[in-house]
Amino acid sequence: MDLVDLIVEKRFLGQEFLTWLWWKSEERGGSIELPGQGDILVIFEKHMLLEFGEGEASEKLICSGLQSELQEARTGLTMGKKLEQARIRLAQNEHEWNVTLTATLMEFRSVRLPKTEGTEQGSNNPEELEGMVLERIFLFEELVRLINDLFRIFLAIRVGEQWRGEVLKIKTWIDHTRIAHTET
Amino acid sequence: MGFLKGTAGFVRFSTEGELPEPFWDFVAERVAAFSFKDIDDTYDEFSIGWVSIHNMFDSEFNFAAYANGDYVTLALRIDERKVAPAILKKFIDKEEERIKKEKQIHKISRSMRTEIKERMRVELMRRAIPIPSVYELCWNVADSTLLFFNTSSKAHTLLEDLFKETFGLTLTQQIPYNTAEHLLDGDDITSLARISPAVFV
Repeated sequence: MDLVDLIVEKRFLGQEFLTWLWWKSEERGGSIELPGQGDILVIFEKHMLLEFGEGEASEKLICSGLQSELQEARTGLTMGKKLEQARIRLAQNEHEWNVTLTATLMEFRSVRLPKTEGTEQGSNNPEELEGMVLERIFLFEELVRLINDLFRIFLAIRVGEQWRGEVLKIKTWIDHTRIAHTET
Repeated sequence: MGFLKGTAGFVRFSTEGELPEPFWDFVAERVAAFSFKDIDDTYDEFSIGWVSIHNMFDSEFNFAAYANGDYVTLALRIDERKVAPAILKKFIDKEEERIKKEKQIHKISRSMRTEIKERMRVELMRRAIPIPSVYELCWNVADSTLLFFNTSSKAHTLLEDLFKETFGLTLTQQIPYNTAEHLLDGDDITSLARISPAVFV
């Protein structure tokens, strides 16, 4: 299958990953355990884009606000809308990243790297410049590695027997959202 | 877009194909062959090539400025002359009016109109100043992966073509599905091919 067909036919994979990650991050108050590395912080915040339907008939729902105000996005999930883009804060050890991750193409948008001494130098010295570039490359690749580690956890569940149980848990989480929303 | 400073946007590619040894000599030779050529003083409409990530006017790469540790870092520069459709239309209309007056005719023939259109396009194109775009990339040679700091599909196509011409390697954008194929092994890849969308409501 060529890439264009893969993008269309398998777009649900990225959307399910983002939805799963959102649920997973809320399951333990923002902490997710990476095998062999301990807990990392994964917080969904500020901005989300949900989609419903395909092509010209597709509807988009943009939700922004503080984490607690993403109620509309949660309600969107209960209406069968798919999570297409989310602003995520990730932290491991002393490093913290912000990224808007897109589901269909797995683009890393509006990436904010952790602030380190090495990335903030405005030097013209070739050696310091190379050090700065290498530091930024390291931080970009660390972000990709963390997302891939999370994606690997999701995939292991997704292709295995556990997925059915996981879907039920996510459904319950979405239903709770619906109930909470109705009560307010 | 933000590779060296500030907020960044990028997509990932994998590279496929064999690389000749010695690698860095190959890179030096190929980057020089496909470095950016300025078109400010020519009538060319389009130019594409490699420049330094630190300076869009540096296509000489003194001291191998594309080498950062084990990474190849390059900027893809495109200069393109463009004429806004409204400007083109204005000049075509103006020229048609001039010819009608000069030849004392009421109507311009189809073939004449085509000729005027093309002549005006070339003339205006020559007067247009090339618009530059610069996109950075970082190639992890050991892992056969590449980060490209732009999310537009037009830029991706230009990158894929120039990268193939320069290094003989094919780039494939890493979307969730092929990323998953890299992260899983054996039987799980077969299972992955069989999954269908889940229903959460």
